Amino acid sequence: MIQMTLNDKEIEASENSTILEVARKNGIDIPTLCYHEALEPFGVCRLCIVEVGGALRKGIRISCIQNVVDGLIVDTESERVKRNRRFLFELLLARSPDSKELIDLAAKHGVFESRFYEADSDDNCVRCGLCVRVCRDKIGAYALCFAHRGYDRMVTTDFELLSEYCIGCGTCAQICPTGAIKMKDEEGERIIYTKSVVIGKFELETCGKCGMPYASRKYLDFVKRNSDDAMAVSVERNLCPTCARRTGAINLVGQMTL
Amino acid sequence: MEKEKIDHIISKFPETKGNLIGILHEIQNEFRYLPEEELRYLSREIEVPMTQIYSIANFYNRFSLTPTGEHELCVCLGTACHVKGGQNVLNQVKKDLKINEEETTEDMKFTLKVVRCLGACSLAPAVMMDDETHSNMTPDLVKELIKSF
Repeated sequence: MIQMTLNDKEIEASENSTILEVARKNGIDIPTLCYHEALEPFGVCRLCIVEVGGALRKGIRISCIQNVVDGLIVDTESERVKRNRRFLFELLLARSPDSKELIDLAAKHGVFESRFYEADSDDNCVRCGLCVRVCRDKIGAYALCFAHRGYDRMVTTDFELLSEYCIGCGTCAQICPTGAIKMKDEEGERIIYTKSVVIGKFELETCGKCGMPYASRKYLDFVKRNSDDAMAVSVERNLCPTCARRTGAINLVGQMTL
Repeated sequence: MEKEKIDHIISKFPETKGNLIGILHEIQNEFRYLPEEELRYLSREIEVPMTQIYSIANFYNRFSLTPTGEHELCVCLGTACHVKGGQNVLNQVKKDLKINEEETTEDMKFTLKVVRCLGACSLAPAVMMDDETHSNMTPDLVKELIKSF
């Protein structure tokens, strides 16, 4: 354990944790877009900036990357932090002017409009890379990547075509903090897409019991391939999550009690 | 698809995954661009996801995903060349070849690229035709250079 000061309060924190983790544990809210507990820190949205001093040279640091050290002094709401964060919010708002999530987050921190020109290619994407990273590091499908450079940088698939790697799990759409990746299930078909590219398009398998479309064949095969026999059996039952739970419960407590 | 060429290039590298950029360079030199089908074959052979290859192929200026001409003409617009009139040289090239930056002539003879600094600032303004650097360019000199090919 180490001793540090967080917003004028003496606290104890465990080594090998980041400033962001310590702050959140102590109930202090630091805005983030590119941070997710399940993934390695990436440090690109820059919204989690804090001002440090004491054991580290005084200055602004990215709290999702900076580890805490003994004798560290952290201020998460100093004037300098607020000024810099406002600037970052304005840049992000110019990039994704229609993203409700971003607008709400900015408003929460007192930023309601941007002094910068709005991007002409408005795709709502803030290039945080959560989708790319979750698809690569957690799912292992490698369906998404960044392509092009600088202003043209974008999230896309290989050759910007319908991806042969996508399994239709929808994790990218779920993790996207600005709603730039969308997933739609309609008439037994799932489609995952951004403004410029269709990532995946799948016929959905229907539940053996209630007949509801629930997952793509590719996804079920993927789960089967990457898990143990017990899971494979449950995939083969061909049940939607609701029916699977119900069947499981019936098996557990018996038909009579339900 | 020219599998053999890709196989041959791969065989030159004892370790393939870490040498991806080297392999892409060889493919670029062989085909004068990175063809999609060959890249997909490469991805399967060396077990590197296509998305990763695409990201890299997109990032570096050296790589092109569309066919390029027989000769690659790079006009330098780095600081020194810019100050010494690189833009005039570029304008002349555009006029002579009737193409814009990053474009290829219809007869597939020339591809025009604009680069930032060839590291030949003392020779400014410089252009590079394929692997050869030409120094102290003027619109007239570059016109001659193009004619000589």
